[in-house]
Amino acid sequence: MTAELRIVRAGPLCTIQDDGREGLLAQGISASGPMDRAGHRLAGHLAGAPGSDCIEITRAGLEIEIIAGPLTLGWAGGAFTVSIDGGSAVWPGCAVLKAGERLSITPGPSGNYGYLRFGARLDLPPVMGSLATNTRAQLGGLDGRPIRDGDILRFKGHGVDPVQVQVPETPSGPIRFVWGIHAQHFSSVVRERFMSQNFRITPMMDRMGVRLADEASVFSGMSNLSLVSDPILAGDIQILGDGTPIVLMRDHQPTGGYPRIGTVIAADLDRFAQLRPGEAVAFTPVSVEHAHRMLRSGPA
Amino acid sequence: MIGMKRRRLRAAEIAPLGDAGLLVRFGTELSDEANQAASNFARRLGRDPIAGVLEVVPSLVSVLVRYDPARLSFQGLAGELSLRMRGDKASDPSHMHAIPVRFDGEDLVEVATALKLSVGEFVAAHNEQPLRVLTTGFAPGFVYCGLHADNLVLPRRSSVRQRVVAGSVLFAAGQTAIAATDLPTGWHVIGHTEFRNFDPSANPPTVLRAGDLVQFRALA
Repeated sequence: MTAELRIVRAGPLCTIQDDGREGLLAQGISASGPMDRAGHRLAGHLAGAPGSDCIEITRAGLEIEIIAGPLTLGWAGGAFTVSIDGGSAVWPGCAVLKAGERLSITPGPSGNYGYLRFGARLDLPPVMGSLATNTRAQLGGLDGRPIRDGDILRFKGHGVDPVQVQVPETPSGPIRFVWGIHAQHFSSVVRERFMSQNFRITPMMDRMGVRLADEASVFSGMSNLSLVSDPILAGDIQILGDGTPIVLMRDHQPTGGYPRIGTVIAADLDRFAQLRPGEAVAFTPVSVEHAHRMLRSGPA
Repeated sequence: MIGMKRRRLRAAEIAPLGDAGLLVRFGTELSDEANQAASNFARRLGRDPIAGVLEVVPSLVSVLVRYDPARLSFQGLAGELSLRMRGDKASDPSHMHAIPVRFDGEDLVEVATALKLSVGEFVAAHNEQPLRVLTTGFAPGFVYCGLHADNLVLPRRSSVRQRVVAGSVLFAAGQTAIAATDLPTGWHVIGHTEFRNFDPSANPPTVLRAGDLVQFRALA
């Protein structure tokens, strides 16, 4: 029997994601994939997911009803509130749901992105090898669009054994970055203040990028540099012409010509993505070698 | 001047782009030499790949190399790249693509007038020489072709159009670009083509590569 679910209520910009479609930057397509890879991975372990496909849930949450079951579900990423047919459940967690049962995910104390994964594969056509929704190029997932109320998702195949994992403690402290390709265009005073001043996450944030409020005016009065475009990667911190810092995220534009002071290291991009509007953020530089040592010693 | 550019090219610069990528820069401003060096080097890496490299992305004057930090250190990869910058400078034969264009864009007359040409003279001058694909990557299947001669250089429009349709042929900054998807642009629309450099069901999804040659032809 194939499982099926209906989206009862979807917050804005919930999307289908998987590990992403890497290798297509030269074709003008950024990789997409989960904003919080560790949260995505944990939900998959809990669900016994056979693939990497998932629903990425944004802050307003999601409610689903199982139409045909049973279906194993696992959820993790951020800190949301979750209930099954009105009875509260734990986050992160997992359950096997039968036809007619409802899972409701509502805002919790922290985080922007949660992940719902399944003990079966989503029955959707891959686009260029991936189910990931690219919100910029409008492809993948459900015809390249966010999930809507009333959408029906069908599943195929079987799950694998769920893995019991310890929920890793989210590290705190400044977001670590490697100095960027245009760092030398910023004066030593600006570079020094970039490391010592706090910035604030603004509501202008999505899968493409997160704008920061520069309350200490670190970048105000910058001369408007005209730079040749270079390729962009997720985590790049670019400074717009008006001095606004923006951190480019998983659906980033593939190329850009604004000066980039640094790039957030891979190990810290997940927790940066989970910072909510209004939260303060500080940045601290590390060497590439140091970032690599952390990747090797950190969780797989 | 040419000598200076050549000297700069020899000292291509390798800089980290985060902890899983690096950028090989052949210049800091657009020149024909730096652009050709970037697309040739990307092709060289395609012919002679490095284990642990995940993706090679040529751009206007640089090449992004994404790598797996579990398999490659920055210094180790930079060394491998430097080795490949020496020696064999042979480039792949460039593919030539003929692109038929209806020169009917809403900005065509304005563009010709600004260049002090009649529309017919502009179209003839525009199509006179094959252009090189300078870079891809701005949007799915989008290509920049150039560089035009100095008498065909115009700045962008002062305002951005929120949407031009896929197949729009765009003109600014001494270049001609082809949009493969609907997109916003501040470039002048000089015509339209049936050619689409993006098909998500094809593998690879695009036809034109950086360094290829493009010959525009006017459709009656």
